[in-house]
Amino acid sequence: MTSRAIILVVERDPHVRDLEEYFLNEAGYEVEFALDGVAALARARVLFPQIIVTEILVPKLDGLALCRAVKEDPALRGTAVLVFSILAADARAREAGADAFLMKPLADRRLVETVRALLASRQRTPSSTRRPPS
Amino acid sequence: MNNVNNVNRVRTGSIQADYVLGGGFPDHSINIIMGQPGTGKTIFAEQLLFENAQGDRPSLFITTLSEPLTKAVRYVQQFAFYDERKLGTDIQYHDVGSLLTAAGPDGLMPWMTDIIKTTRPKIIVIDSFRAIHDLSTSVQQMRRMVSELAGLLSAYDVTTFLLGEYTGDDVQRFPEFAIGDGIVEFARRPLSTRDERFFRVLKLRGSSYRQGQHAFRIGAGGLEIYPRLVSPNLPTNYEPRLKRVSTGVAGLDSMVGGGLWSGSTTLVVGPTGSGKTTLALQFILEGVRQGEPGLYVHFQENPAQLRRAIDSLGMNAEKAIADGLRLRYESPVELEIDSIIVDIFESIRSGEIQRLAVDAIGDLAAAASDAQRLHDYLYALVQHFTVHHVTSLLTFESGGGITSTLEYEQRFSYMSDNVLQLALHGQERTRRTLRVVKTRQSEHDPDVRELAINAGGARIV
Repeated sequence: MTSRAIILVVERDPHVRDLEEYFLNEAGYEVEFALDGVAALARARVLFPQIIVTEILVPKLDGLALCRAVKEDPALRGTAVLVFSILAADARAREAGADAFLMKPLADRRLVETVRALLASRQRTPSSTRRPPS
Repeated sequence: MNNVNNVNRVRTGSIQADYVLGGGFPDHSINIIMGQPGTGKTIFAEQLLFENAQGDRPSLFITTLSEPLTKAVRYVQQFAFYDERKLGTDIQYHDVGSLLTAAGPDGLMPWMTDIIKTTRPKIIVIDSFRAIHDLSTSVQQMRRMVSELAGLLSAYDVTTFLLGEYTGDDVQRFPEFAIGDGIVEFARRPLSTRDERFFRVLKLRGSSYRQGQHAFRIGAGGLEIYPRLVSPNLPTNYEPRLKRVSTGVAGLDSMVGGGLWSGSTTLVVGPTGSGKTTLALQFILEGVRQGEPGLYVHFQENPAQLRRAIDSLGMNAEKAIADGLRLRYESPVELEIDSIIVDIFESIRSGEIQRLAVDAIGDLAAAASDAQRLHDYLYALVQHFTVHHVTSLLTFESGGGITSTLEYEQRFSYMSDNVLQLALHGQERTRRTLRVVKTRQSEHDPDVRELAINAGGARIV
Protein backbone atom coordinates (compact mmCIF):
# COMPACT_ATOMS: atom_id res chain seq x y z
CA MET A 1 0.00 0.00 0.00
CA THR A 2 1.36 3.39 -1.01
CA SER A 3 1.73 6.16 1.55
CA ARG A 4 1.22 8.84 -1.11
CA ALA A 5 -2.11 10.61 -1.10
CA ILE A 6 -4.27 9.77 -4.09
CA ILE A 7 -5.82 12.59 -6.07
CA LEU A 8 -8.49 11.83 -8.62
CA VAL A 9 -8.54 14.42 -11.38
CA VAL A 10 -11.73 14.78 -13.44
CA GLU A 11 -10.77 16.75 -16.51
CA ARG A 12 -11.28 16.58 -20.25
CA ASP A 13 -8.65 19.09 -21.36
CA PRO A 14 -5.48 17.14 -22.17
CA HIS A 15 -3.19 20.10 -21.46
CA VAL A 16 -4.71 20.73 -18.04
CA ARG A 17 -4.53 16.98 -17.29
CA ASP A 18 -0.90 16.84 -18.31
CA LEU A 19 0.07 19.89 -16.22
CA GLU A 20 -1.96 18.79 -13.19
CA GLU A 21 -0.33 15.37 -13.27
CA TYR A 22 3.15 16.87 -13.54
CA PHE A 23 2.81 19.41 -10.73
CA LEU A 24 0.91 17.10 -8.36
CA ASN A 25 3.35 14.24 -8.95
CA GLU A 26 6.20 16.62 -8.32
CA ALA A 27 4.57 17.66 -5.04
CA GLY A 28 4.48 13.99 -4.00
CA TYR A 29 0.94 12.90 -4.82
CA GLU A 30 -0.37 10.01 -6.83
CA VAL A 31 -2.69 11.14 -9.63
CA GLU A 32 -5.52 9.15 -11.19
CA PHE A 33 -7.81 10.38 -13.95
CA ALA A 34 -11.42 10.20 -15.00
CA LEU A 35 -12.83 11.84 -18.11
CA ASP A 36 -16.45 12.23 -17.00
CA GLY A 37 -18.47 12.53 -13.80
CA VAL A 38 -20.00 9.05 -13.87
CA ALA A 39 -16.61 7.38 -14.36
CA ALA A 40 -15.18 9.60 -11.63
CA LEU A 41 -17.80 8.50 -9.10
CA ALA A 42 -17.17 4.85 -9.94
CA ARG A 43 -13.40 5.29 -9.66
CA ALA A 44 -13.80 7.16 -6.34
CA ARG A 45 -15.78 4.25 -4.88
CA VAL A 46 -12.86 1.98 -5.70
CA LEU A 47 -9.87 4.22 -5.03
CA PHE A 48 -11.15 6.25 -2.05
CA PRO A 49 -8.98 9.20 -3.04
CA GLN A 50 -8.11 11.83 -0.45
CA ILE A 51 -9.09 14.54 -2.92
CA ILE A 52 -11.15 14.78 -6.11
CA VAL A 53 -10.14 17.71 -8.30
CA THR A 54 -12.95 18.30 -10.78
CA GLU A 55 -13.87 20.70 -13.54
CA ILE A 56 -17.58 21.62 -13.56
CA LEU A 57 -17.85 21.17 -17.32
CA VAL A 58 -17.38 17.42 -17.64
CA PRO A 59 -19.71 14.99 -19.48
CA LYS A 60 -22.44 12.69 -18.14
CA LEU A 61 -22.41 14.05 -14.59
CA ASP A 62 -21.19 17.61 -14.17
CA GLY A 63 -18.60 18.50 -11.55
CA LEU A 64 -21.13 20.04 -9.14
CA ALA A 65 -23.44 17.01 -9.36
CA LEU A 66 -20.40 14.79 -8.81
CA CYS A 67 -19.52 16.87 -5.77
CA ARG A 68 -23.01 16.47 -4.32
CA ALA A 69 -22.94 12.71 -4.98
CA VAL A 70 -19.58 12.38 -3.21
CA LYS A 71 -20.80 14.38 -0.23
CA GLU A 72 -23.96 12.26 0.04
CA ASP A 73 -22.03 8.97 -0.02
CA PRO A 74 -21.00 7.94 3.53
CA ALA A 75 -18.29 5.70 2.11
CA LEU A 76 -16.61 8.81 0.63
CA ARG A 77 -16.73 10.98 3.73
CA GLY A 78 -12.94 10.95 3.79
CA THR A 79 -12.74 12.47 0.28
CA ALA A 80 -12.42 16.23 -0.13
CA VAL A 81 -13.63 17.89 -3.32
CA LEU A 82 -11.75 20.71 -5.00
CA VAL A 83 -13.71 22.29 -7.84
CA PHE A 84 -11.22 23.64 -10.39
CA SER A 85 -13.08 25.31 -13.21
CA ILE A 86 -13.05 27.76 -16.05
CA LEU A 87 -16.34 29.05 -14.63
CA ALA A 88 -16.42 31.70 -11.91
CA ALA A 89 -18.67 29.47 -9.79
CA ASP A 90 -17.19 29.78 -6.32
CA ALA A 91 -20.59 30.18 -4.63
CA ARG A 92 -22.21 27.34 -6.58
CA ALA A 93 -19.31 25.04 -5.72
CA ARG A 94 -19.68 25.82 -2.01
CA GLU A 95 -23.43 25.21 -2.22
CA ALA A 96 -22.71 21.81 -3.73
CA GLY A 97 -20.53 21.04 -0.71
CA ALA A 98 -17.10 21.56 -2.26
CA ASP A 99 -14.26 21.90 0.21
CA ALA A 100 -12.41 24.37 -1.99
CA PHE A 101 -12.73 26.22 -5.28
CA LEU A 102 -10.05 27.40 -7.71
CA MET A 103 -10.56 29.15 -10.98
CA LYS A 104 -8.54 28.29 -14.05
CA PRO A 105 -5.96 28.79 -15.49
CA LEU A 106 -3.74 26.42 -13.66
CA ALA A 107 -1.37 28.22 -11.31
CA ASP A 108 0.79 25.37 -10.04
CA ARG A 109 1.68 26.89 -6.68
CA ARG A 110 -1.92 27.78 -5.85
CA LEU A 111 -3.10 24.30 -6.83
CA VAL A 112 -0.47 22.49 -4.76
CA GLU A 113 -0.99 24.79 -1.75
CA THR A 114 -4.75 24.22 -1.86
CA VAL A 115 -4.26 20.45 -2.08
CA ARG A 116 -1.83 20.57 0.86
CA ALA A 117 -4.24 22.64 2.94
CA LEU A 118 -7.10 20.24 2.23
CA LEU A 119 -4.98 17.24 3.23
CA ALA A 120 -3.81 19.00 6.39
CA SER A 121 -7.38 19.83 7.39
CA ARG A 122 -8.37 16.18 6.82
CA GLN A 123 -5.54 15.03 9.06
CA ARG A 124 -6.78 17.29 11.84
CA THR A 125 -10.12 15.41 11.79
CA PRO A 126 -8.93 11.77 11.95
CA SER A 127 -12.36 10.13 11.83
CA SER A 128 -13.00 11.49 8.38
CA THR A 129 -9.70 10.39 6.92
CA ARG A 130 -10.10 6.72 7.68
CA ARG A 131 -10.37 4.69 4.54
CA PRO A 132 -13.35 2.31 4.62
CA PRO A 133 -12.55 -1.39 4.20
CA SER A 134 -12.52 -2.45 0.58
CA MET B 1 -19.94 40.62 -10.06
CA ASN B 2 -18.08 37.48 -11.02
CA ASN B 3 -14.37 37.53 -10.36
CA VAL B 4 -13.83 36.66 -14.02
CA ASN B 5 -14.28 40.38 -14.70
CA ASN B 6 -11.67 41.48 -12.20
CA VAL B 7 -8.86 41.30 -14.68
CA ASN B 8 -5.29 41.72 -13.54
CA ARG B 9 -3.07 43.63 -15.95
CA VAL B 10 0.39 43.05 -17.30
CA ARG B 11 1.98 46.47 -17.50
CA THR B 12 4.10 47.38 -20.48
CA GLY B 13 6.74 49.58 -18.84
CA SER B 14 5.31 52.61 -20.66
CA ILE B 15 2.68 54.57 -18.72
CA GLN B 16 1.29 55.94 -21.96
CA ALA B 17 1.04 52.49 -23.59
CA ASP B 18 -0.74 51.24 -20.47
CA TYR B 19 -3.10 54.20 -20.80
CA VAL B 20 -3.86 53.25 -24.42
CA LEU B 21 -4.40 49.61 -23.36
CA GLY B 22 -6.78 50.52 -20.56
CA GLY B 23 -4.19 49.66 -17.90
CA GLY B 24 -2.07 47.05 -19.66
CA PHE B 25 -2.65 43.65 -21.26
CA PRO B 26 -5.15 41.47 -19.41
CA ASP B 27 -3.14 38.73 -17.72
CA HIS B 28 -3.38 35.16 -18.96
CA SER B 29 -4.06 36.42 -22.47
CA ILE B 30 -2.48 35.52 -25.80
CA ASN B 31 -1.45 38.65 -27.70
CA ILE B 32 -0.10 39.24 -31.16
CA ILE B 33 2.34 42.09 -31.71
CA MET B 34 2.49 42.72 -35.44
CA GLY B 35 4.54 45.05 -37.59
CA GLN B 36 7.19 45.27 -40.25
CA PRO B 37 10.87 44.81 -39.32
CA GLY B 38 12.30 47.78 -37.45
CA THR B 39 9.00 49.11 -36.15
CA GLY B 40 9.83 48.52 -32.47
CA LYS B 41 8.08 45.21 -31.67
CA THR B 42 11.07 43.55 -30.05
CA ILE B 43 11.94 46.61 -27.94
CA PHE B 44 8.33 46.87 -26.82
CA ALA B 45 8.34 43.21 -25.74
CA GLU B 46 11.67 43.48 -23.95
CA GLN B 47 10.58 46.64 -22.16
CA LEU B 48 7.50 44.75 -20.98
CA LEU B 49 9.61 41.81 -19.77
CA PHE B 50 11.95 44.02 -17.74
CA GLU B 51 8.97 45.88 -16.29
CA ASN B 52 7.59 42.59 -14.98
CA ALA B 53 10.88 40.97 -14.04
CA GLN B 54 10.28 40.51 -10.36
CA GLY B 55 8.75 37.90 -8.13
CA ASP B 56 9.32 34.20 -8.07
CA ARG B 57 8.48 33.21 -11.62
CA PRO B 58 10.60 34.01 -14.67
CA SER B 59 9.63 35.40 -18.04
CA LEU B 60 10.85 33.78 -21.25
CA PHE B 61 12.01 35.47 -24.44
CA ILE B 62 12.10 32.79 -27.13
CA THR B 63 13.69 33.54 -30.49
CA THR B 64 12.87 31.42 -33.51
CA LEU B 65 14.24 32.04 -36.97
CA SER B 66 14.29 35.77 -37.67
CA GLU B 67 16.67 37.53 -35.32
CA PRO B 68 19.52 35.61 -33.69
CA LEU B 69 19.42 35.45 -29.91
CA THR B 70 22.70 37.34 -29.62
CA LYS B 71 21.23 40.33 -31.46
CA ALA B 72 18.14 40.51 -29.29
CA VAL B 73 20.31 40.47 -26.17
CA ARG B 74 22.95 42.85 -27.53
CA TYR B 75 20.57 45.65 -28.55
CA VAL B 76 18.48 45.59 -25.40
CA GLN B 77 21.52 46.67 -23.36
CA GLN B 78 21.40 50.22 -24.72
CA PHE B 79 18.05 50.97 -23.10
CA ALA B 80 17.51 52.48 -19.67
CA PHE B 81 15.12 49.70 -18.67
CA TYR B 82 17.83 47.05 -19.16
CA ASP B 83 18.99 45.49 -15.90
CA GLU B 84 21.77 42.93 -16.14
CA ARG B 85 20.85 41.37 -12.79
CA LYS B 86 17.52 40.22 -14.24
CA LEU B 87 19.07 38.23 -17.08
CA GLY B 88 19.24 34.49 -16.72
CA THR B 89 17.00 34.48 -13.66
CA ASP B 90 13.95 36.70 -13.97
CA ILE B 91 14.31 36.94 -17.74
CA GLN B 92 15.52 33.91 -19.62
CA TYR B 93 16.39 33.99 -23.31
CA HIS B 94 15.99 30.79 -25.32
CA ASP B 95 16.67 30.04 -28.96
CA VAL B 96 14.57 27.35 -30.65
CA GLY B 97 15.78 28.13 -34.18
CA SER B 98 17.82 24.94 -34.60
CA LEU B 99 15.09 22.82 -33.03
CA LEU B 100 12.52 24.20 -35.48
CA THR B 101 14.88 23.80 -38.42
CA ALA B 102 15.38 20.13 -37.53
CA ALA B 103 11.86 19.18 -36.43
CA GLY B 104 9.68 21.75 -38.17
CA PRO B 105 6.73 23.47 -36.46
CA ASP B 106 5.81 20.21 -34.73
CA GLY B 107 8.97 20.52 -32.64
CA LEU B 108 7.64 23.54 -30.78
CA MET B 109 4.85 21.96 -28.72
CA PRO B 110 6.88 19.33 -26.81
CA TRP B 111 9.54 21.94 -26.11
CA MET B 112 6.96 24.48 -24.88
CA THR B 113 5.23 21.94 -22.66
CA ASP B 114 8.55 20.98 -21.12
CA ILE B 115 9.75 24.56 -20.58
CA ILE B 116 6.45 25.52 -18.93
CA LYS B 117 6.69 22.55 -16.55
CA THR B 118 10.29 23.18 -15.65
CA THR B 119 10.44 27.00 -15.47
CA ARG B 120 6.77 27.92 -14.67
CA PRO B 121 6.92 31.22 -16.55
CA LYS B 122 4.54 34.09 -16.01
CA ILE B 123 5.21 35.72 -19.40
CA ILE B 124 6.29 34.15 -22.68
CA VAL B 125 7.42 36.12 -25.74
CA ILE B 126 8.00 34.27 -29.03
CA ASP B 127 9.91 36.35 -31.61
CA SER B 128 9.18 35.75 -34.44
CA PHE B 129 6.15 33.51 -34.46
CA ARG B 130 5.36 34.36 -38.05
CA ALA B 131 8.71 32.96 -39.16
CA ILE B 132 7.59 29.47 -38.07
CA HIS B 133 5.10 29.55 -40.95
CA ASP B 134 8.04 29.45 -43.35
CA LEU B 135 8.95 25.97 -42.08
CA SER B 136 5.46 24.61 -42.34
CA THR B 137 4.79 22.00 -45.00
CA SER B 138 1.04 22.56 -44.99
CA VAL B 139 -1.61 24.93 -43.77
CA GLN B 140 -3.08 22.09 -41.73
CA GLN B 141 0.20 21.46 -39.94
CA MET B 142 0.45 25.07 -38.77
CA ARG B 143 -3.22 25.24 -37.86
CA ARG B 144 -2.90 22.10 -35.75
CA MET B 145 0.21 23.40 -34.00
CA VAL B 146 -1.38 26.79 -33.27
CA SER B 147 -4.47 25.10 -31.88
CA GLU B 148 -2.36 22.88 -29.61
CA LEU B 149 -0.26 25.81 -28.50
CA ALA B 150 -3.36 27.86 -27.69
CA GLY B 151 -4.65 24.93 -25.62
CA LEU B 152 -1.43 24.74 -23.65
CA LEU B 153 -1.12 28.50 -23.12
CA SER B 154 -4.77 28.71 -22.06
CA ALA B 155 -4.37 25.85 -19.58
CA TYR B 156 -1.48 27.42 -17.71
CA ASP B 157 -1.33 30.75 -15.86
CA VAL B 158 0.86 32.59 -18.35
CA THR B 159 0.54 35.71 -20.53
CA THR B 160 1.88 35.27 -24.04
CA PHE B 161 3.08 37.60 -26.78
CA LEU B 162 3.56 36.29 -30.30
CA LEU B 163 5.62 38.76 -32.33
CA GLY B 164 5.71 38.75 -36.09
CA GLU B 165 6.28 40.70 -39.29
CA TYR B 166 2.62 40.31 -40.15
CA THR B 167 0.88 42.43 -42.77
CA GLY B 168 -2.81 43.28 -43.07
CA ASP B 169 -3.57 40.20 -45.19
CA ASP B 170 -2.07 37.87 -42.60
CA VAL B 171 -4.76 38.84 -40.09
CA GLN B 172 -7.34 36.99 -42.21
CA ARG B 173 -5.00 34.20 -43.25
CA PHE B 174 -3.05 32.97 -40.24
CA PRO B 175 -4.68 30.89 -37.49
CA GLU B 176 -2.90 32.68 -34.62
CA PHE B 177 -5.11 35.72 -35.20
CA ALA B 178 -8.16 33.62 -34.37
CA ILE B 179 -6.72 32.60 -31.01
CA GLY B 180 -5.30 36.03 -30.12
CA ASP B 181 -7.05 37.84 -27.28
CA GLY B 182 -5.15 41.00 -28.13
CA ILE B 183 -3.70 42.34 -31.37
CA VAL B 184 -1.40 45.35 -31.38
CA GLU B 185 0.12 46.81 -34.52
CA PHE B 186 3.31 48.81 -34.92
CA ALA B 187 3.65 50.76 -38.16
CA ARG B 188 6.09 53.15 -39.74
CA ARG B 189 5.26 55.80 -42.31
CA PRO B 190 8.13 57.46 -44.13
CA LEU B 191 8.14 61.27 -44.30
CA SER B 192 10.64 63.41 -46.16
CA THR B 193 13.31 63.67 -43.45
CA ARG B 194 12.24 61.06 -40.93
CA ASP B 195 9.66 58.36 -40.25
CA GLU B 196 6.47 58.60 -38.28
CA ARG B 197 5.75 55.57 -36.11
CA PHE B 198 2.36 54.50 -34.91
CA PHE B 199 1.03 52.10 -32.32
CA ARG B 200 -2.52 50.82 -32.69
CA VAL B 201 -4.63 48.35 -30.75
CA LEU B 202 -6.77 46.30 -33.12
CA LYS B 203 -8.33 44.04 -30.52
CA LEU B 204 -8.19 43.56 -26.76
CA ARG B 205 -10.68 40.98 -25.58
CA GLY B 206 -12.33 41.76 -22.27
CA SER B 207 -10.95 45.27 -22.06
CA SER B 208 -11.64 48.75 -23.30
CA TYR B 209 -8.80 50.58 -25.02
CA ARG B 210 -8.03 53.89 -26.76
CA GLN B 211 -8.70 53.44 -30.44
CA GLY B 212 -6.80 54.93 -33.35
CA GLN B 213 -3.17 55.50 -34.19
CA HIS B 214 -0.95 56.67 -31.36
CA ALA B 215 2.40 58.13 -32.38
CA PHE B 216 5.57 56.91 -30.72
CA ARG B 217 9.29 57.21 -30.96
CA ILE B 218 12.09 55.07 -29.64
CA GLY B 219 14.32 56.81 -27.13
CA ALA B 220 16.87 55.77 -24.54
CA GLY B 221 14.06 54.81 -22.20
CA GLY B 222 12.39 52.55 -24.78
CA LEU B 223 9.12 53.39 -26.46
CA GLU B 224 7.71 56.87 -25.84
CA ILE B 225 4.08 56.80 -26.88
CA TYR B 226 1.92 59.86 -27.44
CA PRO B 227 -1.68 58.79 -27.03
CA ARG B 228 -4.04 60.28 -29.56
CA LEU B 229 -5.79 63.25 -28.03
CA VAL B 230 -9.54 63.06 -27.91
CA SER B 231 -12.08 65.65 -26.81
CA PRO B 232 -12.74 65.69 -23.08
CA ASN B 233 -15.92 64.36 -21.61
CA LEU B 234 -17.36 67.45 -20.00
CA PRO B 235 -18.26 66.80 -16.39
CA THR B 236 -21.96 67.38 -15.78
CA ASN B 237 -21.18 70.10 -13.25
CA TYR B 238 -18.95 71.90 -15.72
CA GLU B 239 -19.47 75.70 -15.62
CA PRO B 240 -17.70 78.11 -17.91
CA ARG B 241 -15.66 80.56 -15.86
CA LEU B 242 -17.01 83.94 -16.86
CA LYS B 243 -13.95 86.09 -16.60
CA ARG B 244 -12.25 88.41 -19.05
CA VAL B 245 -8.47 88.38 -19.42
CA SER B 246 -6.41 91.16 -20.94
CA THR B 247 -4.65 90.70 -24.28
CA GLY B 248 -1.80 92.92 -23.08
CA VAL B 249 -2.21 95.04 -26.21
CA ALA B 250 -3.37 98.57 -25.43
CA GLY B 251 -6.68 99.29 -27.14
CA LEU B 252 -7.37 95.69 -28.18
CA ASP B 253 -9.30 94.61 -25.09
CA SER B 254 -12.03 97.15 -25.74
CA MET B 255 -12.30 96.00 -29.37
CA VAL B 256 -13.21 92.46 -28.23
CA GLY B 257 -15.75 93.51 -25.63
CA GLY B 258 -13.44 94.06 -22.66
CA GLY B 259 -10.82 91.35 -23.01
CA LEU B 260 -10.81 87.68 -24.04
CA TRP B 261 -13.03 85.21 -22.25
CA SER B 262 -11.03 82.93 -20.00
CA GLY B 263 -10.75 79.52 -21.70
CA SER B 264 -11.35 80.94 -25.17
CA THR B 265 -9.17 80.39 -28.23
CA THR B 266 -8.11 83.28 -30.44
CA LEU B 267 -6.68 82.89 -33.93
CA VAL B 268 -4.41 85.69 -35.15
CA VAL B 269 -4.07 85.58 -38.93
CA GLY B 270 -1.72 87.76 -40.94
CA PRO B 271 1.21 87.90 -43.38
CA THR B 272 4.87 87.89 -42.40
CA GLY B 273 5.81 91.02 -40.46
CA SER B 274 2.26 91.99 -39.57
CA GLY B 275 2.83 91.62 -35.81
CA LYS B 276 1.55 88.13 -34.96
CA THR B 277 4.56 87.11 -32.83
CA THR B 278 4.51 90.45 -31.00
CA LEU B 279 0.81 90.03 -30.20
CA ALA B 280 1.33 86.45 -29.04
CA LEU B 281 4.26 87.41 -26.81
CA GLN B 282 2.43 90.40 -25.32
CA PHE B 283 -0.54 88.16 -24.56
CA ILE B 284 1.67 85.64 -22.74
CA LEU B 285 3.74 88.28 -20.89
CA GLU B 286 0.58 90.09 -19.78
CA GLY B 287 -0.49 86.81 -18.18
CA VAL B 288 2.83 86.53 -16.36
CA ARG B 289 2.33 90.09 -15.07
CA GLN B 290 -1.18 89.15 -13.85
CA GLY B 291 0.07 86.00 -12.11
CA GLU B 292 -1.22 83.67 -14.84
CA PRO B 293 1.57 81.28 -15.87
CA GLY B 294 1.83 80.75 -19.61
CA LEU B 295 3.39 78.43 -22.17
CA TYR B 296 4.79 79.89 -25.37
CA VAL B 297 5.38 77.31 -28.09
CA HIS B 298 7.46 78.56 -31.00
CA PHE B 299 9.02 77.07 -34.09
CA GLN B 300 10.71 79.92 -35.95
CA GLU B 301 12.67 82.20 -33.61
CA ASN B 302 15.33 80.26 -31.78
CA PRO B 303 15.43 80.61 -27.96
CA ALA B 304 18.08 83.39 -28.04
CA GLN B 305 16.06 85.42 -30.55
CA LEU B 306 12.96 85.00 -28.51
CA ARG B 307 14.63 86.14 -25.30
CA ARG B 308 15.78 89.28 -27.09
CA ALA B 309 12.22 89.85 -28.30
CA ILE B 310 10.93 89.53 -24.74
CA ASP B 311 13.56 91.97 -23.48
CA SER B 312 12.55 94.43 -26.19
CA LEU B 313 8.98 94.34 -24.91
CA GLY B 314 10.21 95.73 -21.62
CA MET B 315 10.31 92.53 -19.63
CA ASN B 316 13.43 90.68 -18.55
CA ALA B 317 13.23 87.17 -20.01
CA GLU B 318 14.89 85.50 -17.00
CA LYS B 319 12.53 87.23 -14.60
CA ALA B 320 9.54 86.31 -16.77
CA ILE B 321 10.61 82.65 -16.67
CA ALA B 322 11.01 82.85 -12.90
CA ASP B 323 7.52 84.36 -12.70
CA GLY B 324 5.80 81.57 -14.66
CA LEU B 325 6.73 81.87 -18.35
CA ARG B 326 7.48 78.55 -20.03
CA LEU B 327 9.11 78.48 -23.45
CA ARG B 328 8.98 75.44 -25.67
CA TYR B 329 11.04 75.65 -28.83
CA GLU B 330 11.02 73.02 -31.51
CA SER B 331 12.91 73.27 -34.76
CA PRO B 332 10.45 73.04 -37.64
CA VAL B 333 12.72 70.42 -39.23
CA GLU B 334 12.44 68.11 -36.22
CA LEU B 335 8.84 68.94 -35.54
CA GLU B 336 6.78 66.03 -34.29
CA ILE B 337 3.27 67.22 -33.72
CA ASP B 338 2.31 64.36 -31.42
CA SER B 339 4.99 65.08 -28.86
CA ILE B 340 4.16 68.80 -28.85
CA ILE B 341 0.43 68.24 -28.56
CA VAL B 342 0.98 65.78 -25.68
CA ASP B 343 3.31 68.27 -23.98
CA ILE B 344 0.72 71.02 -24.28
CA PHE B 345 -1.99 68.69 -23.08
CA GLU B 346 0.05 67.63 -20.03
CA SER B 347 0.68 71.31 -19.17
CA ILE B 348 -3.04 71.98 -19.33
CA ARG B 349 -4.08 68.91 -17.40
CA SER B 350 -1.59 69.46 -14.61
CA GLY B 351 -2.92 72.98 -14.13
CA GLU B 352 0.54 74.48 -14.65
CA ILE B 353 -0.59 77.12 -17.11
CA GLN B 354 -3.46 79.51 -17.61
CA ARG B 355 -2.36 80.96 -20.94
CA LEU B 356 -0.94 79.38 -24.06
CA ALA B 357 0.39 80.75 -27.33
CA VAL B 358 1.41 78.66 -30.33
CA ASP B 359 3.45 80.58 -32.90
CA ALA B 360 2.59 79.39 -35.49
CA ILE B 361 0.12 76.58 -35.99
CA GLY B 362 0.92 76.69 -39.71
CA ASP B 363 4.24 75.07 -38.81
CA LEU B 364 2.34 72.24 -37.18
CA ALA B 365 0.24 71.94 -40.33
CA ALA B 366 3.35 71.78 -42.50
CA ALA B 367 4.79 69.01 -40.31
CA ALA B 368 1.61 66.99 -40.21
CA SER B 369 1.37 64.15 -42.67
CA ASP B 370 -2.34 63.98 -42.20
CA ALA B 371 -4.44 67.17 -42.22
CA GLN B 372 -7.49 65.51 -40.72
CA ARG B 373 -5.40 64.10 -37.88
CA LEU B 374 -3.99 67.55 -37.04
CA HIS B 375 -7.43 69.07 -37.21
CA ASP B 376 -8.82 66.43 -34.84
CA TYR B 377 -5.92 67.02 -32.46
CA LEU B 378 -6.33 70.78 -32.41
CA TYR B 379 -10.08 70.52 -32.09
CA ALA B 380 -9.70 68.23 -29.07
CA LEU B 381 -7.04 70.52 -27.63
CA VAL B 382 -9.33 73.57 -27.93
CA GLN B 383 -12.02 71.67 -26.02
CA HIS B 384 -9.48 70.92 -23.29
CA PHE B 385 -8.56 74.63 -23.16
CA THR B 386 -12.18 75.45 -22.41
CA VAL B 387 -12.58 72.80 -19.72
CA HIS B 388 -9.34 73.77 -17.99
CA HIS B 389 -9.87 77.54 -18.42
CA VAL B 390 -6.67 78.00 -20.38
CA THR B 391 -6.90 81.05 -22.62
CA SER B 392 -5.05 80.46 -25.86
CA LEU B 393 -3.78 82.43 -28.80
CA LEU B 394 -2.75 80.71 -32.00
CA THR B 395 -0.99 82.52 -34.82
CA PHE B 396 -1.35 81.58 -38.47
CA GLU B 397 0.57 83.03 -41.37
CA SER B 398 -1.67 83.85 -44.30
CA GLY B 399 -0.12 83.34 -47.73
CA GLY B 400 2.38 81.06 -46.05
CA GLY B 401 3.08 79.03 -49.14
CA ILE B 402 1.81 75.62 -48.12
CA THR B 403 -0.61 74.37 -50.69
CA SER B 404 -3.63 74.10 -48.47
CA THR B 405 -3.26 77.35 -46.54
CA LEU B 406 -6.79 78.50 -47.20
CA GLU B 407 -8.21 75.15 -46.18
CA TYR B 408 -6.23 75.24 -42.93
CA GLU B 409 -7.19 78.88 -42.29
CA GLN B 410 -10.84 77.96 -42.61
CA ARG B 411 -10.44 74.94 -40.35
CA PHE B 412 -8.63 76.93 -37.67
CA SER B 413 -11.09 79.84 -37.88
CA TYR B 414 -13.96 77.47 -37.42
CA MET B 415 -12.56 75.99 -34.21
CA SER B 416 -11.51 79.36 -32.71
CA ASP B 417 -13.74 81.58 -30.57
CA ASN B 418 -12.15 84.80 -31.83
CA VAL B 419 -10.38 85.65 -35.06
CA LEU B 420 -8.12 88.69 -35.44
CA GLN B 421 -6.99 89.63 -38.94
CA LEU B 422 -3.72 91.55 -39.29
CA ALA B 423 -2.70 93.24 -42.54
CA LEU B 424 0.14 95.28 -44.04
CA HIS B 425 -0.52 98.33 -46.21
CA GLY B 426 1.31 100.93 -48.30
CA GLN B 427 4.06 100.60 -50.84
CA GLU B 428 6.63 99.86 -48.15
CA ARG B 429 4.11 97.72 -46.31
CA THR B 430 4.95 99.50 -43.09
CA ARG B 431 1.42 100.40 -42.04
CA ARG B 432 -0.27 97.68 -40.02
CA THR B 433 -3.94 97.19 -39.28
CA LEU B 434 -5.99 94.87 -37.10
CA ARG B 435 -9.58 93.83 -37.63
CA VAL B 436 -11.69 91.69 -35.31
CA VAL B 437 -13.35 89.23 -37.69
CA LYS B 438 -15.26 87.26 -35.10
CA THR B 439 -15.78 87.02 -31.36
CA ARG B 440 -17.93 84.29 -29.86
CA GLN B 441 -20.27 85.41 -27.05
CA SER B 442 -19.09 89.03 -27.30
CA GLU B 443 -19.85 92.26 -29.04
CA HIS B 444 -16.86 93.49 -30.98
CA ASP B 445 -15.61 96.54 -32.81
CA PRO B 446 -15.96 95.67 -36.51
CA ASP B 447 -13.75 98.51 -37.77
CA VAL B 448 -10.26 98.17 -39.17
CA ARG B 449 -7.89 99.77 -36.66
CA GLU B 450 -4.32 100.83 -37.01
CA LEU B 451 -1.80 98.71 -35.13
CA ALA B 452 1.42 100.46 -34.17
CA ILE B 453 4.49 98.50 -33.15
CA ASN B 454 7.42 100.20 -31.54
CA ALA B 455 10.00 99.44 -28.85
CA GLY B 456 7.35 98.99 -26.20
CA GLY B 457 5.33 96.52 -28.27
CA ALA B 458 2.07 96.70 -30.21
CA ARG B 459 -0.89 98.95 -29.49
CA ILE B 460 -4.09 99.99 -31.24
CA VAL B 461 -3.87 103.57 -32.37
